[in-house]
Parts: sequence; structure tokens; C-alpha cells
Amino acid sequence: MGLLDPRNLAWAAALAVLVAIYLRSRSRPTLEVSSLMLFDDVPAPVASVRQVHLDPLFWLEAAGLCALVFAAAGLYAMTAKAGMRGHSHALVFDVGAAMGGSSGAQGGAVRIDEAKRMALRILSAAPAGDEFSVLTYALAAHVAAPQTPNLAVVRGAIEALAPLDVPARASALRAVMMRARGASEIDFFTSREPDKSALRDAALDSRVNLHLIGGGDDNLGIVSLDAGAGGGSKGRIVLRNFTGAPELTGLAIDLDGAKVFDEPLMLAPREQVVVPFGPLAEGGLLHARLKHPDALLADNQRWALAPLASTVRVMVLSPDDSVRADLARVLLAISPNFQVETASPRYFHPDPKARIDLAVMHDCFVPGINSGATMLIYPPAKIASVANLTGFRIDGTADQSTMIPLAAPGTESDEGSVARVSLDSTRMMRMPAWMDTHRWALAGSADERVPLVASGEIPSGRIGVLAFDIRGHLLLDPDRLDALVATVGLVKRLTEPVGVRVVSTGDYVNFASTTPVKVTRPDRSVIMVRPDASNRVRIRPLEIGRYVVEIAGAKSQIFANYYDAAESDLASAAARTTSVSETFAVRSGTVAYAQRQMEPLGKVLIAIALLLFIVESIILVRHASRWSATHV
Amino acid sequence: MLEARAFEPEFLRKLDRLVLGIKRARTIRAGNRTLGRVQGAGIEPENFREYALGDDLRFLDWNAYARLDQLSIRTFRADRQVEMTMMVDASASMRYPERDDKLGLALALGAALAYVGMSDNDAVRIATFAAHRGAMRLDATPFHRRRESYIDFKPFVSAARPGGETRIGAAVDELLQFRRPPGIVIVISDFLTSQSEYENALSRLLAARHEVKALHVLGEMESTGAYPPGLYRIRDAESGVMRETVFDSAAAEKIRRRAEQISDGIRDFCVGRGIGYARAFGVASLDGFIENELPKLGLVR
Repeated sequence: MGLLDPRNLAWAAALAVLVAIYLRSRSRPTLEVSSLMLFDDVPAPVASVRQVHLDPLFWLEAAGLCALVFAAAGLYAMTAKAGMRGHSHALVFDVGAAMGGSSGAQGGAVRIDEAKRMALRILSAAPAGDEFSVLTYALAAHVAAPQTPNLAVVRGAIEALAPLDVPARASALRAVMMRARGASEIDFFTSREPDKSALRDAALDSRVNLHLIGGGDDNLGIVSLDAGAGGGSKGRIVLRNFTGAPELTGLAIDLDGAKVFDEPLMLAPREQVVVPFGPLAEGGLLHARLKHPDALLADNQRWALAPLASTVRVMVLSPDDSVRADLARVLLAISPNFQVETASPRYFHPDPKARIDLAVMHDCFVPGINSGATMLIYPPAKIASVANLTGFRIDGTADQSTMIPLAAPGTESDEGSVARVSLDSTRMMRMPAWMDTHRWALAGSADERVPLVASGEIPSGRIGVLAFDIRGHLLLDPDRLDALVATVGLVKRLTEPVGVRVVSTGDYVNFASTTPVKVTRPDRSVIMVRPDASNRVRIRPLEIGRYVVEIAGAKSQIFANYYDAAESDLASAAARTTSVSETFAVRSGTVAYAQRQMEPLGKVLIAIALLLFIVESIILVRHASRWSATHV
Repeated sequence: MLEARAFEPEFLRKLDRLVLGIKRARTIRAGNRTLGRVQGAGIEPENFREYALGDDLRFLDWNAYARLDQLSIRTFRADRQVEMTMMVDASASMRYPERDDKLGLALALGAALAYVGMSDNDAVRIATFAAHRGAMRLDATPFHRRRESYIDFKPFVSAARPGGETRIGAAVDELLQFRRPPGIVIVISDFLTSQSEYENALSRLLAARHEVKALHVLGEMESTGAYPPGLYRIRDAESGVMRETVFDSAAAEKIRRRAEQISDGIRDFCVGRGIGYARAFGVASLDGFIENELPKLGLVR
């Protein structure tokens, strides 16, 4: 049972009006008299009349009105679907990176194409009248085609499906299954065994046909690429063999087009190796690729930025000596190219002519520094009025806070930290829309969720904020490494080369712009993206490769990398088509949930209301005849 | 409001012709019931007598003592003035029926009688009584003797508001605590209280040697039972007790008979004890009642 439009229950106010009319009709006026002595001889009414008593006319009218109100609200019942009617099918496709892998031997069909062929066969075999919907999921659930009997539309949606270079997330699987639960039959195309709890959560007691596609495919992937810290340190690339046999491959690395490394490599079964290269003489864009094609191409390329050999001037300002020393150590560890100067804000006088690449200010703010990027650590409370950061606000300071882990246990993320780290004094900040919050913390007496690490762009350059205080050698505390990781991550963000960014597929990349932005994707297709209310353009690369972003004539490049250990491991079970409905324990009766349909009860309710009003009329006519009245 | 009528010149001119019908003492005679001030309070010398222990030394005739060496007390003829108190019931029951303005009628009658009483320069005051939350509240004006000061009653009469319970007995007790000389007490009330209550109260006034008169005021609606027909809940204005009832012609007759029964009970009691009794039930014309009814009942001449 349910209501199609609960807002129409507002008509129930008619019941209140009916009750008010009834009570008014039953009420008697109260008369103030000087004394009841005068009325001693006046008898009371024979029957003491109650305010509400069993008046059949009233109850009939109330029941009739109730029926009409429920009819207006669209009361419906879930009923078993009639046998002669067509079934509804949901075709659910995993469009994660693994579905882009070649099925079977190298050069075989791509998994998604095989899934599409199977789906089209199901479509062709379906009896007339059946309805289909096409749903996909990877990072999120998506409806490619809503439920329709128009098979041409469904066929077109299936043929347009393409895999994305992102991992398929369990949360997206749950979401897509919740959407598909209304169908009487679900055909689920994926390359990996699905999380059964996702199907259970969706209460899928209908028939789910699981189509596992591919299996045992050879794949090698680049796990990571690190250009080294510069200054003579070597770079490292990590490769992994996901197959059960030794694999020969060729690895080529070049820096801005110049060859750095090009050698064949032999990897043992399921081996992960670290290959050093370099050191690199200068910075730039590093590109690594596996020369031998394998089943999954998305993880065969990777980009990284090598730090430039030029000096990066960093000014560290803090009223605390130990904080200045800690920050200098950390900055020099990040890059030996950093030329770090430290000073107390009390004695520092900025020179507008001297260009500083990064100004790090702890518990202070010195205006007038000519810097390309500004990093504020534990900013002072009055900064909002001094720094001209629109929308940025500090509401107070919490004595303690707890850093929220990046990835909660059980969720899929390539960022590994899960332990909660306690921090000391933390500013309770409110971030403007133009800043992106990268880490959160729980702070205050009510464990309020507050931003901890955030960054954004202003006309004068980049700006990053760390909300926690780093006094007491926090950055060097081995038990609270997350604080150091967050600090290093923010420093790297702020010192990235301008015009080039290297991100993971699925990450959001923001640009400040007031005009529409032209984005050229890796497949050379061009899209225009409009800025939002905060004059910000958000781009989310879902394919590996180079994206070119053109803002008012200025071009920026984004290089998107992909790697996911679970997704890249194509050596899963052999392809099979199976019905897993018996696997899911949720069962209730012989009629499955998805084989039920909504049956509007409006007509029935109106009929009931009419019947009740007819009965009321009959009672009135009988009363009238008893009173010998000719007109009622 | 009806009480305002008592201060209109036209109405007062009609009252000028009337005199209060009371028994007034002309001389002091032992054993006779007298009204007026106590002996010695007057200014007209009457006699001398031998001093007795306890006599007020202010009236000792020092000249006679000097000449005769005997202590003599001068006695004076008693004044003819009588103290009159109009006790007006201001309880909540006097508010209803609102259409009849019972309290206004009672105050107008009290003020009119006070005006008549002032014709002989008698000391007159108006008092209202009602019990609020168990405590008796008896508000009274000062005594006024001359008609020029009659207008001084107007603020008191205008400010009187109904409320509280009818507790005549407690009001009389409070009045007697002043220990004023015997005078005239006119009780104006609807007497919608228990029979024992008003009988005890009036008896105590008689016992204090006051000349007592009772003026019974009821609204026209409650004395005739002319309530609009229908089913009603009626609420006692003083006790708040409610009951359901049906008003129709039969009920009206019963109410009228009940009002008559209450009135007869009071009248019988008053007649038996020499208390002047008059009833003003649904008095539409205050003037006519004052001019025609009160003389018939002996309250005025």
C-alpha cells in the first residue's frame, strides 16, 4: 500500500470541517444565571447528550470523506502482476575499467562488447510487450534508458555503452540495484563476482541473472610512478603482473618527449616489481607506458610530474621557533629544490618586489607578500577581515579534533589511511564555495564536521589552508603521520607546475573561470563547460589521457591516470551465465516483489464513498418517513 | 446604566416630594424604642440630674457645683437625626440577567432612598457588600446629611461592580462591628441565598435595635422565566456549578412560581418581624416604582 501523491492528504482538512460542523450542531449555548435556585423545579433533559455519540449519519459521512481523501491522494496496492501482461527487465551493466578489458586471449572481444551482444540477444528473445531498462554503474549509478517497451530505444542505449577508466564501486552497485529492484527480472553483466550484500540490501527476491564476462585474461599494470625528489634522487616505477604466468613486457619512460628509460622486463607470476630510473636531470612531464599490449590498456600508461630543477623559494613565517624548524625540515624533504627561508612574523617586512613561490604562514598572516601560492596553517581568527578571502570564515577554535580518515573501512579507495588521528587546537573554519575541502575533522563538543585541509585559487595565485596547529612537533610525530601526509599533500598541490596537473580518473579538477570553458578530451572530442555560481568549473576525467582545458585563450593540461588493484586483476572466474536467485536468501511467498505491480484504488474508493452516501440517503429517507415529512 | 438615573435633576425633583417612612424619636422616654443619637449628644438642654458614677465628666455642671457644692449632670434633648445605611448587594448574582441590570436598579433605589432620607438632614450612607474568595468586602461611603452633598455618592455608586458571593450574614456582622447607634438599615438584594442566611442576618440587625427594611430586587427575565426556548447549559454565576436544562413555556412557569415562592418566604419572614419589605421585580420604570410602589409599601410617605 502506498500513496501516489501524499500532498493530496491535505484534503483531510474536510474531515476536520465535518467534525467542527458536527460538534457545533451538538453544542448547546451556555447561559449565565444569577442562581440555580430559580431553576430547582425545572427538570434536566431526559437524556444527557454527549458531545460525540454514535451518530450513524456522522460516521457514514466521515467514512465517505475518508474514502474520497484517499482516492485523491492516490492510494494504491501492490498486487501480483497479471500473467498475460509483459515482464519488466532491467539490464544492469558494469562499466568499470575491467569491462574494457579484452575477453579471453589477447586481441579477443572487449568484455563490454560481449556483454552488449548478450544483452541484445536477450532483447531479441523477449516476447512482445516486455519492457526493458538499461542501467550502468561505475563510480555512480546511471540510467542509460528508462523502462520502456520501445526496444529500439533500449537497443540504442545498449550499443552506446562504453567502459570508463575508473573502478566500479560497491556503493554504485548498491544504488543501481536499488533502481533495478522494480523489475521482474534483472540481467546483470559484470566481469567480477558482485558483492552479494548489495543484492540483499536491495531486497532482490526477484530473479537475478548474473552474466560473468571474461576471465583469466592477462594483464600487467603500472601501479605507480614517482619521478623522485630531484637533486640526484632516482625515480621509481612500480609494475604488477596480474597473470598466473611469467610475462614479458617493454617499459618506456620519457620526460617531455625525451627518452629516459626503455628496456624489456620479465615479471614473475603475480609479481610486483619496483623499477628505478634516472635520476632526472631536469623537471617536466614524465610519461611511462608498457609497450606490449595486454587485456586492459587503461593501466598501461601513467603520467607524473618531475620536479623542476629550478629553485623554489619558500618563506616560512611562524611565531614559534620549533614550528619554523619542523616546517623547514618537511619542505626540504619534499623537494631539495626548495630554498626555504624562515622568519618570525614580528620581524618580517615583506618586499613587494621579491617574488616568493610559496609563503607558508603558521598562526599569523602577513599581507603584502608577493607569492605565487600561500599556505595558511592554523590561521589566526581575524584573518577573514585581513586576507580578503571572500566567504572564508573562522568561527572559533576547538581544543581537540579528530581527523576523519580518507577511506572508511569497506569502501573502495586508493587512498589508504583509515586510522583516526587526534589533533590539538583546530580552527573551526567555514569554507567558501570556491575552495575545495580535501580532509575533514570532527571537532567541538558536538563532534561537528569541520574542514581540515582545503585549497582554492584566487586571482593572485593558489591558496591552501590547514586548520590544525602543528606546534609540539606534530609533523614529526610517528603516531600521527596523517597530519604530515595532509601537510605534504597540500604543499605539493600548491607547488604543482602551473598549466599541468596529474590526477587520478574520477577526481574532480577545478578551474576558476567566469566564462564557459572548452575541454578537449583524450578522444579529441570537445565539450563546453559552464562555470557554476562560484565562478568555478569542475571537470571529472573518466578516461585516461590528456585533457586540454582552454580558459579565455589560456590552455591547461590534465593528465588522468588509472590504477585499481581489484579492477585490474582480470584473472577472475571463467565466463558463465548463471542464475543467482537461489543464492539470495530473501524470499517471501511465491509471488516475488518485482512481479508485483501498483494497482490504483481510486475507483474502488470512489465507489465505496458513493455507496456510503447512498446508505446515508436511505437512512435520511427512513427518518423522514418516520417523522411524516414530505421533504428532506 | 440604571444607577445614573438616580442623579438626574428631573428624577431628584420627584424625590423632593417624598419623606422616609420611619419611626423617629421625638423625646427620650424610658422603655420606648427610640431612634437617634444617644443622650447628651444634642445641643438643646433638657434637664439636670445628680451625678452618678460613670457619667461623662464633660457634661458636669461646674457652675452648679461651685454654687451648691453638688455634682450635677446636664442632659440634652436627643437629636432627631437618624443614621441610615443602604446595604446594596453587589454579588455576582446581581449581574444576571444582564439585560435587566439588577445591580444598577439596586444602586439607583439605594441612592434614591438616601436622597429621600437627606430631606430631614438624617445621616445617610450607601454600602455595597459581596464576599470575595471567602472574605467579606463591605464598602461604604461616609455619612452625608445634607442634600447638597448627595452628589458625593455618585462616584461610589458609579464605581460599584458585581462580583463575589451573596453573604448577607457576614455583611451584617461586619456592619455591626462599627457599633453605630441604632438607625435604619435598608437591605437591597436579590436574596438568592439560603433562607437561613438572610433570616439570621435580618434578625441580627433587629437585635441591634435597627429599623430594618428589605428591598427585594429580581430581573424581569428570572422572575417570569422568559428565557429563549431551547436546550441550554446554565451556570450559576456565584458557584460556577453547571447543569443542563430545557427552556420552554412549562419551564418558564416553574421558574416564575419558584421566584414567587422565594419572594413569599422573605415577605412572610419580614412581616412577622415588623421588617418593611418591598419587591422590585423587573422594574421597567424606576420613577414609577419610587413614586407609586414604595409609598404603598410604607418605605416612603
